[in-house]
Amino acid sequence: MPTVVVMDVSLSMTRPVCLDGSEEFQRKNLAVHGLNMLFEHMASNYRLEFTALMAFSSLWELLVPFTRDYNALQEALSTLEDYDKTCVESALQGVSNVVQQEWGSACPCQVVLVTDGSLGIGKGSLRHSLQTLKHRGDDKKFPLPFPFPTKMFIMCVANAEELQTTDAMDNLEELLFLSGGDGQILTVDGPLCMKSVQAMFGLIDVAYSPFHAVLHCGNLSSDVQVFPRPEAVVVDDEVDPIPRTVNTDVDDVGGGATEELEEEPSASQAAGKSPNICVLLHGSLRVEGMVALVELGLEWYGMLHSQADSKKKSNMMMSLFEPGPDPLPWLGKITHLGPISEAAENPYGEDDSKSPFPVTPQVKRSYAQNVTVWIKASGLQTDVQKILRNARKLPDKTQTFYKELNRLRKAALAFGFWELLKGVADLLERECTMLPDSAHPDAAFQLSHAAQQLKRASAGDPQYAGFDHNIVPIPTDFSS
Amino acid sequence: MRMFSVAHKTVFVVDHCPYMAESSRQQVECDVLTKSRAQGVIPLAPVSKSLWTCAVECSMEYCRILYDIYPRDKLINYIVSDSEFHILNSWMREDQSTHELMSALAAVGPPNHREDPESCSVVHGLSAAVESLSKITELQHEQRTALMDTAERVANRGRIICLTNAKSDTHVRMLEDCIQETILEQNKLAAGSDRLMAIQQCELVLVHIYPQGDDMLVSDRPKKEISPLLTSEVHSVRAGRHLATKLNILVQQHFDLASTTITNIPMKPTLNVCEQEEQHANTSANYDVELLHHRDAHLEFFKSGEFTTRENGLKETITLKWCTPRTNNIELHYCTGAYRISPTDVNSRPSSCLTNFLLNGRSVLLEQPRKSGSKVISHMLSSHGGEIFLHVLNSNRSILEDPPSISEGCGGRVTDYRIADFGEFMRENRLTPVSESSHHPSGRLPVERAKAQIDRHTRYWPMIISQTTIFNMQAVVPLANLIIKEALTEEDVLTCQKTVYNLVDMERKNDPLPISTAGSRGKGPKRDEQYRIMWNELETFVKTLAVATDRHQRVLDCIIACRSKPPEEEERKKRGRKREDREDRTEKNGNKEVEDKSWQDSERLKVLLDKEDQESEVIKDSPDSPEPLNKKPRLTTEEVQPPERAKGPVSLLTMWTNRITTANSRKHQEFVGRASSVNNKFELYQNLKDENGMDVHENGKTTR
Repeated sequence: MPTVVVMDVSLSMTRPVCLDGSEEFQRKNLAVHGLNMLFEHMASNYRLEFTALMAFSSLWELLVPFTRDYNALQEALSTLEDYDKTCVESALQGVSNVVQQEWGSACPCQVVLVTDGSLGIGKGSLRHSLQTLKHRGDDKKFPLPFPFPTKMFIMCVANAEELQTTDAMDNLEELLFLSGGDGQILTVDGPLCMKSVQAMFGLIDVAYSPFHAVLHCGNLSSDVQVFPRPEAVVVDDEVDPIPRTVNTDVDDVGGGATEELEEEPSASQAAGKSPNICVLLHGSLRVEGMVALVELGLEWYGMLHSQADSKKKSNMMMSLFEPGPDPLPWLGKITHLGPISEAAENPYGEDDSKSPFPVTPQVKRSYAQNVTVWIKASGLQTDVQKILRNARKLPDKTQTFYKELNRLRKAALAFGFWELLKGVADLLERECTMLPDSAHPDAAFQLSHAAQQLKRASAGDPQYAGFDHNIVPIPTDFSS
Repeated sequence: MRMFSVAHKTVFVVDHCPYMAESSRQQVECDVLTKSRAQGVIPLAPVSKSLWTCAVECSMEYCRILYDIYPRDKLINYIVSDSEFHILNSWMREDQSTHELMSALAAVGPPNHREDPESCSVVHGLSAAVESLSKITELQHEQRTALMDTAERVANRGRIICLTNAKSDTHVRMLEDCIQETILEQNKLAAGSDRLMAIQQCELVLVHIYPQGDDMLVSDRPKKEISPLLTSEVHSVRAGRHLATKLNILVQQHFDLASTTITNIPMKPTLNVCEQEEQHANTSANYDVELLHHRDAHLEFFKSGEFTTRENGLKETITLKWCTPRTNNIELHYCTGAYRISPTDVNSRPSSCLTNFLLNGRSVLLEQPRKSGSKVISHMLSSHGGEIFLHVLNSNRSILEDPPSISEGCGGRVTDYRIADFGEFMRENRLTPVSESSHHPSGRLPVERAKAQIDRHTRYWPMIISQTTIFNMQAVVPLANLIIKEALTEEDVLTCQKTVYNLVDMERKNDPLPISTAGSRGKGPKRDEQYRIMWNELETFVKTLAVATDRHQRVLDCIIACRSKPPEEEERKKRGRKREDREDRTEKNGNKEVEDKSWQDSERLKVLLDKEDQESEVIKDSPDSPEPLNKKPRLTTEEVQPPERAKGPVSLLTMWTNRITTANSRKHQEFVGRASSVNNKFELYQNLKDENGMDVHENGKTTR
């Protein structure tokens, strides 16, 4: 997930740090040093992460938009200037804007807030922001929680003792709580110096460590790295609220194929020259236009597929499905996918002309089964008119006429709408009297027969009002 | 939504008392006369629905939407109440369909005027509803069984939607009290039963329906807690379309739904969206189609606060513009969710045109209307297996952009992967849905069987062309395809054996083998070395699968027996005696390697063989080369296998060899040693045995 580094460049950051040595440092220098370490760590271990750098005082400024260019980030750190007072709220508003503009509101983000624990004074200070939290209109809402899932790291270039002299720690804790609670407040352990700050920044390295796993396809297997880190998911169905983590032993289950993911503390870096199942699998998936099903954990699946960008670079992508036994309804239950070799004949056809998918549900959805709804008057009118239109074309349209008539009859019976049955019977009788001389004699027979049947149904006569009973054409013989 | 929230169980209680037969006083003109026919015809009087008809059709609409979007495990139990209660269906999954309900409703019919109004009440139905809520559903049962130790996590909550015509607010309070009491009683009963569960939470939604023009006798009331077990809300609604709107809002609130309106649908015949359109052009004023779906499909909009919330807590419908269909579906790569839909107005022409278009396999991209800027495609409509889904597409920048090429990673520089062969492997290991009711003799789930098959197929699977000989040979294909099967037929064994004989024949004819020369200096291994590599690999391959069945083992036995030197070679062998000694040693080495199960070593083995080859060139020329310790008894190698070893039918080769042997034997006098042999063996130098007291024969016996 992308990271926004929010750097406090207020005057308090320029406070000197007393060191025994000759050189004098500002807190800012220590913070910059720590961030440089972090960026170096990311560049070598997590280089696909997008990171943005923002500086803030009473105003905020986006110094480096989201990038994977860690040199650019480090360069920007070296040219930081000093401004006025700390205003955390406006900076967070800035983070919210920048992130949503770039990634929308669904993409989880990490926020690294670097400050010195001196959180401003008066209006605009964090204390003031938090005190007025409940007395705000909709237009001036506090930016936390962010609309996007957030992991917040608050890095204080100050030690815990120092922070305890004010209410800074309480305020920061409330801030973390407001952000959703996922994250950490880190302070310097012991006296402020390069080493202690370095140690503090080292603590968030874990959030930027590569995710190692092993991909299995039967007896073939390979160490893989997954980016971005698949985060644990908690399915809150109350019954089983256990966080689901991606089992790092991934099992490849067969094409449209299963792959399995396992924890390996140190994946050895194999040379580019020794064959690897990932490359082979990727190549074949691409050529065949197939995807491989991956088992990620208990009732958690995903798929592997080849994805190519416009530059002809292509890589293997792993898409994670929602945890559950049947993440894609049209595949059915994953545990009930079996090998085609067990089928009497290949369900894909000998020439790949068929497919056993999609699995269709037993009951059709309403929009696929010509249901009758008369909520709106127009629905009822259309159905009546359809019957009359066909009535005038008897006997050519005998089948359609009875089909529509029976559909209306069924619905009217279910809705207890007997008045309608009588009304339609009357209409049919009227049509019968209005038949032109040229009309086929069968038309009159069918119309009066249908009218009579409807009338009997509308009287609730069990013999004629059965739901599954259908009115059938009266047999006539005009052929001679 | 939690698995067992109140939404898991919904009981409809519809009042069927005589007063429900009263007209809603909303008239429907169903005799629409066309101008040409209007003269002299008296139009049919308009019909009007009863309160009962209004209640039933609106409740059915609620069910329709629910079943479209949650086809499983959001259950409805439909109860009708007059002088007694009538339960129209059960919680069983098979009972959950509008067709079932419509059929049962038809049997009930409209309220009966003649019934005694005093004995009729909706109370009967409400008590039955509480009893029904305490009945366990299939899902509850399954989960309780699955979670034996934490079975108490399976909650029992439910909702009662009561459609009635109440008399007053006091009447409503009486109904609430009645439910509250029944819950308490029912929970006592449930404590002592396996099939009943105590009700932990019940939500009563009472909808008072009254005819148009009447005064409202019952007042609306928002949800309030009657007791820790029961909450109640009252909606007072006029029959007709107001009631329909109310239930539409309720189904959205109850099941976390939201609405999307598709606009700009091109109803032109050229696009085939709606073919009938032309003839009715004058009647279709509005081409917009409203769809309901889970509200998560709008997550992106809600979070960014772009849309306003209505008074009833629902969001305004979100309007998305139709984009002319495209065939390329690259956008799917960024699909972040798919949600079932249900059209609000299912049988209106625009709705059915859109849904039929989608059911026919076409997809529609949907665009966010923006006042300015480029167009943003945020959703896609598409059907899978007769169900339409609203797909959410990522319309922002993706963190997956510009991924590194796979060629930059491990194994990325290797160029001779067996891509086509692996494709074939994948196609053989494709999956197919297996009916949940079918039971396999092994008792294993289909997916486990699929994994077992992949396991079998990959016991020995070299990834690159230069790592294998046998998989580059057309001649091996019949055997390679069969031996990976879980079980072999007699015929399969024969085919495998034929494949082996064919290889023997190739070796005899000295046919070239597709052995990779990559990595080795010069021309690569000599022909007989090539065959040795090939036989070793074939043996390794079949050995990984031979444990499966006796028939697999027989194929392996055949390979082991046949790879021994064929008779024609014998002469050559005699000539190059020393050479053979060397081969014997390499073979010993080879066998040791083969026994090592890890087939990956076969590459190393080849290198080893190559090395051995070079070393032995030196040895060959040395007059001091030592004599081999074990000499192969030549007799056995060219002899036909003893009958007890060949379990299968006699092969063509055996028959032929037997015939030739018999024919030849007639032409000469039998060698005395053979004539007096035991098992085709005759001990030589028997005198030495006596002298040394040592069994030389034993020493010279073949190990095979």
